[in-house]
Amino acid sequence: MNKQNVERAFIELNNVMKEYRRGADIVVALDLEHLEIDARGLLGVIGPSGSGKSTLLHLLGAMDRPTRGTVVVAGQELEMLKPVELTRFRRETVGFVFQSFNLIPNLTAAENVALPMEFTGRPKEERRRRALELLEQVGLGHRAKHRPHELSGGEQQRVAIARALANDPRLILADEPTGNLDSQSGQMIYKLLKEIAGERLVIVVTHDLRLSERVDRVVELQDGRLISQEASTSRR
Amino acid sequence: MRMFLYGFRNAFRNRMRLWVVAILIALPFFFFLLMQALGSAVSEHLDQLQRNVNNTLQLRASGSMGHVNMVGSDTMLLAEAVEKVRNVEHVVNVEPYALAMDPMEGGNFAIIVGLRPGDAKRLESHGEAGNPRIIAGRDLTQADVGQPMGLIGQRYAQWFNIDPKSFQETEITLDPRRSNNVIFPLPGNPQKIRIIGVYASGYVFGDLQLFIPLDIFREIYPTDGISWLFVTVDEARNVAAVERGIREALGDSADIIAPKSGAAFESSIAATLNRVVRGGIALTLSLAGIVIFFTMMIVAGERIREIGTLKALGASNRGIVAQFVAEAVALSAVGATLGFVFFTLLSGLVTRRVFTLTAAPFLPAEYRETLFESLNLSFGLSSPLLLLVLVTAFAVAVLGSSYAAWKIAHLSPVEALRDE
Repeated sequence: MNKQNVERAFIELNNVMKEYRRGADIVVALDLEHLEIDARGLLGVIGPSGSGKSTLLHLLGAMDRPTRGTVVVAGQELEMLKPVELTRFRRETVGFVFQSFNLIPNLTAAENVALPMEFTGRPKEERRRRALELLEQVGLGHRAKHRPHELSGGEQQRVAIARALANDPRLILADEPTGNLDSQSGQMIYKLLKEIAGERLVIVVTHDLRLSERVDRVVELQDGRLISQEASTSRR
Repeated sequence: MRMFLYGFRNAFRNRMRLWVVAILIALPFFFFLLMQALGSAVSEHLDQLQRNVNNTLQLRASGSMGHVNMVGSDTMLLAEAVEKVRNVEHVVNVEPYALAMDPMEGGNFAIIVGLRPGDAKRLESHGEAGNPRIIAGRDLTQADVGQPMGLIGQRYAQWFNIDPKSFQETEITLDPRRSNNVIFPLPGNPQKIRIIGVYASGYVFGDLQLFIPLDIFREIYPTDGISWLFVTVDEARNVAAVERGIREALGDSADIIAPKSGAAFESSIAATLNRVVRGGIALTLSLAGIVIFFTMMIVAGERIREIGTLKALGASNRGIVAQFVAEAVALSAVGATLGFVFFTLLSGLVTRRVFTLTAAPFLPAEYRETLFESLNLSFGLSSPLLLLVLVTAFAVAVLGSSYAAWKIAHLSPVEALRDE
């Protein structure tokens, strides 16, 4: 892949298959012949439960390895990386947003946001300053010292998005980020994701077709296979 | 470093669990400290024994036990033996004892020992190390010379209904005319002795003695002879030379006994106790380790999604394990500190019970009931002990949490986040 290709296809999957063993059976969770994704924008991955959406997200986030095939993200062929390099990749290149927010309950909002920066060894003052900046960016500067249980679901998810941005990753992976939120909070989260997608790639897994219309591009999976990929109506 | 701090903070996330685990860890640490105190006291006991025995010889009249009123065994050393032995080269101290038997019920007897106040108080059979622990009242001193006062063994004290726990000076009567089938009567009158203290020797026979000033002994039991003469040599390597010197000075009139058989016997007792104590320590620390093991397995199970999140965010396995182990160390340290508090507050109340249940069953009968009292136990706060507790707590935490930490390290982020 030449330099131009890397810039154009920020993510490239070729002949990727992920199988799981369930008892005596082997279940194919994902079977993608080819998929390319650009380096910027908000991408929605939709499909029914069990269609392979989360599996795709895990492979892209270096949380899991494919049974076969190649996954290239930001020019790095993930299956070639050692465990320590995968950890560094997750730390520097990817930000995760989870359905259940997954904030550390005994840390304040600011400490949660600063956490990924600690893994990169940034100085304490810089961590503190950036965490506050990010919380301001998601509209929660005034909630910096609150712990997760003192925040609403929507606020917790905004803290989680700020945390995902902490190390300024090129890729944000959000797995059903509005799944535990009311529709108003969900709208706000999508607005926020849309904003941050101006400078990076944000991939959102969702089964909510209404929200998926707000993304730039939609990839639809069914039974682990890619059945369509198109620019969304909102973008058109 | 930061992950260590998070780990310490994690220990305090669930207060209820913290206290339950702390108490579960505190109990083994409490017993660990008790065992440690027993072990130290036993070691001190043995050290004193060896220090006092290795350069000491005991002299008795040839072929006799030397007790003034013992049937068939009442021959004593002549008083002049003291000066003769004192003049032997390398002899640094000579301590004359006069012994009489006092009959008790059931054919038993106690030993009345006349000695110079200030000399070592040695005991009948196996007690050559001497100077048993005073458990009530006070010791005899130089000021008691010529005074009808005595220091009594705890078992003999029972015979006179003297309770060390509520000790008050009291008087007993010694009567040289008392006899039984192995004790013959001596002429003389009963005399009152004021009991000023009670001692514990560690074994039954040793606790059946009464130490009184030698001059008072001679007033009650009319004799100027010497039952036993203890000779202290300047250095253990000169004992053989002193034996030869004594033999030249006294001829065949004295048996010279190197009291090493008694020392060896007590050493074996101490070794038994040390084995019990070491076993107890290993058991209690294992229990603490098991508590940590299960606690950290539960914690790992509860926090599995959090661990997955940390991995997803780019935390290194080393960092996650460090955080996890730090939490175990914090839990263990809190438990150990609580155990230390229990130890300083409660050990005086339960140590005897613990000794009776753990060590006593392994001892010969004559030591089982009495050895505990002779141990110089210390339950005080000391820096080395605190350091020992903290180091042990750290080791227990690291070992106890190692399996759970290993599992965490090998957990894939996807597995950890499976319920996401």
